[in-house]
Amino acid sequence: MKITRFTPPGNNTDLDGNAAALQQWSDLLSGYFTEAVDRLNNFLGQQGAGASQFYNPLTQGIAAPDTRQDITWNGFPRRFISPQPGVPTNYAAAEPTPAAGLVRPQDEYLEWHVTRDAQNRITSVQFTCEGPDYWRFLAGADQQKLLELYRQFISPQVQLTDLFTPSGYNVRNRWNTANGAMHLTHPANNLFAEVQLGAEATVRRQQFGAEVTSSAALIKCARFGDGSRNSDPKIGIEVNNFARQGFHITLDDPVGLYIDGLDDHGWQFADGTPAQGFFKILRGSPTRTLRAEYRLPSALAAQGKTVSDVLIGGKPIHFGGQIAERITMKLTGVVCQPNSVQNLPVACGAVPQLPALGAAPLAAQADELKVTRSQA
Amino acid sequence: MSPALPAPPEPLLEVDDIQGNILAGFQKDHQLLVGLRLRDIAAARRWLRRLVPEVATTTEVHHFNQLFQRLKTRRGRDPEGMAATWMNLAVSAGGLEKLTSPGEVAQLPDDAFRLGLLARSAAVLHDPAIGEPGGPDTWKVGGPDRVPDVLLLLASEVRSQLDAAVDRLLPRQDDGAAADLPEVIYNEHGDVRPDLPGHEHFGFKDGISQPGVRGLLSHNPDVVLEPRHLAPSDPRSQVDARPGMELIWPGHFVLGYPAQSRIDGTPLPPPPLPLPWLKNGSLLVFRRLLQDVHGFRTFLRERAADLAARPGFAGLTADHLGALFVGRWPSGAPLVRSPGIDVPRLGADEWAANHFNYVAPMPPALLRPGEVHPPDRFPAAQPDAAGLLCPFAAHVRKANPRDQDTEIGDAFDTATRRILRRGIPFGPPLPADAAGPDGVPRGLLFLCYQASIEQQFEVLMGNWINAPSTPRPGGHDPILGQAAGGADRFIVLPPLPGQAGAAVTVPLPPRWVTPGGGGYFFAPSLTALNDFATRP
Repeated sequence: MKITRFTPPGNNTDLDGNAAALQQWSDLLSGYFTEAVDRLNNFLGQQGAGASQFYNPLTQGIAAPDTRQDITWNGFPRRFISPQPGVPTNYAAAEPTPAAGLVRPQDEYLEWHVTRDAQNRITSVQFTCEGPDYWRFLAGADQQKLLELYRQFISPQVQLTDLFTPSGYNVRNRWNTANGAMHLTHPANNLFAEVQLGAEATVRRQQFGAEVTSSAALIKCARFGDGSRNSDPKIGIEVNNFARQGFHITLDDPVGLYIDGLDDHGWQFADGTPAQGFFKILRGSPTRTLRAEYRLPSALAAQGKTVSDVLIGGKPIHFGGQIAERITMKLTGVVCQPNSVQNLPVACGAVPQLPALGAAPLAAQADELKVTRSQA
Repeated sequence: MSPALPAPPEPLLEVDDIQGNILAGFQKDHQLLVGLRLRDIAAARRWLRRLVPEVATTTEVHHFNQLFQRLKTRRGRDPEGMAATWMNLAVSAGGLEKLTSPGEVAQLPDDAFRLGLLARSAAVLHDPAIGEPGGPDTWKVGGPDRVPDVLLLLASEVRSQLDAAVDRLLPRQDDGAAADLPEVIYNEHGDVRPDLPGHEHFGFKDGISQPGVRGLLSHNPDVVLEPRHLAPSDPRSQVDARPGMELIWPGHFVLGYPAQSRIDGTPLPPPPLPLPWLKNGSLLVFRRLLQDVHGFRTFLRERAADLAARPGFAGLTADHLGALFVGRWPSGAPLVRSPGIDVPRLGADEWAANHFNYVAPMPPALLRPGEVHPPDRFPAAQPDAAGLLCPFAAHVRKANPRDQDTEIGDAFDTATRRILRRGIPFGPPLPADAAGPDGVPRGLLFLCYQASIEQQFEVLMGNWINAPSTPRPGGHDPILGQAAGGADRFIVLPPLPGQAGAAVTVPLPPRWVTPGGGGYFFAPSLTALNDFATRP
């Protein structure tokens, strides 16, 4: 893949007409890729294992037939699913009561905010998979657009001053925590982390004399993420599968994590009437969805029905997580030129040097620093 | 592969209390399913009291199967005249409410069971809705007002013995007044195909891959339910009972036993049971699946001819296209061990036919000294992480992704989704030369046991078989998958091995397998059945 510019996530039009900002976004993304490639080259060189199979499609673009591969995972955090028969999934723990500044414990690149009525019935659930990197960038590039989007998607009451601290844009501002989900908040959920994970997963690994081919072993060996998630091991092993086939590997533009879809087939109300088609894409496109909302049409809401009246296989929706576990997430990898790279597997334990984190709590650092999936 | 650590001690299975079809499997050529609705509960309990001594236990079925298999191995043929007729039973949530209480049933730790198949059918299994062809209102059993309280499963080598047994076991005059007796609302025979034993009606060998259940039959740690055939020097000897048969902790099939971690496979202590009578019970899924054999054959023939004209698919035959849909050839030989041609001898060797992964190489197994099973000399499975030999959406790869990662975890997670399949075909085979559909119902009486319907059977169906993007993007399972709400069904096929060409997306008709009934049931322990039978 060879591109002339990185485009904003989901091909959003927030910065249309602002050529300088679009260029800066591209530069930022390109920097993420270059940093990853440089780190891999250093690491693989030190190990005598070859050179980076991961490449920056802007500065190192390859003009060759590409194969695009969606990598999919479930949007509900794996750490809360039932660990064994007889133990229920812990939906409540996956969505604690929102509070100002509270990071959501939803670490599969999908976060959601539940709105309830006075009877505690769910009236809507907003889902987002937009990285904070983009929003921090937008806050620097176009504050009015930032405010406009917050007012459009969260509340008309949002003030610009609500979104900033003296040091800059506040990722964990109250409109993105207590009162809504404009974008991702979990420290692991950012585009920098996505790029680094994709890159590090291209390193072939060996253990006990054999090349590592299982995701659990790979993530333990390479430490590029958290093995208790759905996403990290899945992304890691699928990228690594391509690496073992000698491909050059990168991420598709626009770089992002996307909602692949919701399976709401067969959802219904207690009287048997269908309750499907209530999941609306608010930002992005059907193939690259950035933001979506589950809300009943106004005609049904006017009858007093709420999301909590919807039955999934006979179970009423008590938590947004019940919807999230029916959502498939994806990112898209791009590979070309199979069998063109013959890197050697690297022993477990040795890992590329990551940017050092300070002593501050990780959630606070996420506002300002690049945090990877393994650090969060 | 990392050196396997010795597995922790396995639990003693209470095999005299666990129904026999769950862990041992009836393994008979003929089965009879009878669905009953309970009316007067006192009469039902009297009937149950008469029935409980007739319920086959795991001990009985296991020992019979072992003796049968030993004789068959030594003689090289089925032992003539050796027959047994077994009966097991299971109870729906509605039936349990009658035999126990709604308060007790509410405590059962599986929402899917409590809600029942009817409630789960559309949302989880993507079944047609009421009013549509294949909707629950058309089902022979399990549709609205047709959910049995009790499902009897009878099995025998000899079909006539089934009929004699059912005469003996069904409610009769001395159980109560006629109007009070449990009422038969469904019965159906299932028979192994006489022309192709072990094959389902589309013509493919079925039931090859089953998990091996860990657990001891006695306090002697060498007396295990699933015999171990791998040499201790084989690194897989701690995780497989025999080539291709993964060992799973019993808590995934029977309540009250250790299960295993979805993260690393280590055993987990069983959670406390909310009701003592759940111990040694299991959850049973029954699906009556109608197969459109003529439609399937016609599609394979016509589409194979179309595809054969495209780059990458030269020479594609109907059988080969069917193998790409199933992931195995009709003989059972897996595509990853024989990508280009069926090898019936490989398919006939169930150890070899199941000895493969999709991602990691699978070296030949080392068998214990003195092992009588012939050595596996077939070509080893080729790693197929890219889905070039076996399509990602092929039936067997969807239903058991093995070491391929899924959207919810890896091979450790997938192991916890396994089920014990006990199904059997029903209806006569459609002759190979049939010019058209004959209008005769045929299909599969699908039966499987697990500890959680929601986390096992429904994950296989909802997350994988019916989903085009998971575990890996590549379409729907062409055999069992159903697209959501009239969406297009498809499968992505890679070019044939050794041929240049692009992958093609093949549109599929809505379904060749249509639901025709079923239900979710609980198979209680004998202790629990005695409890139900003797309550006031």
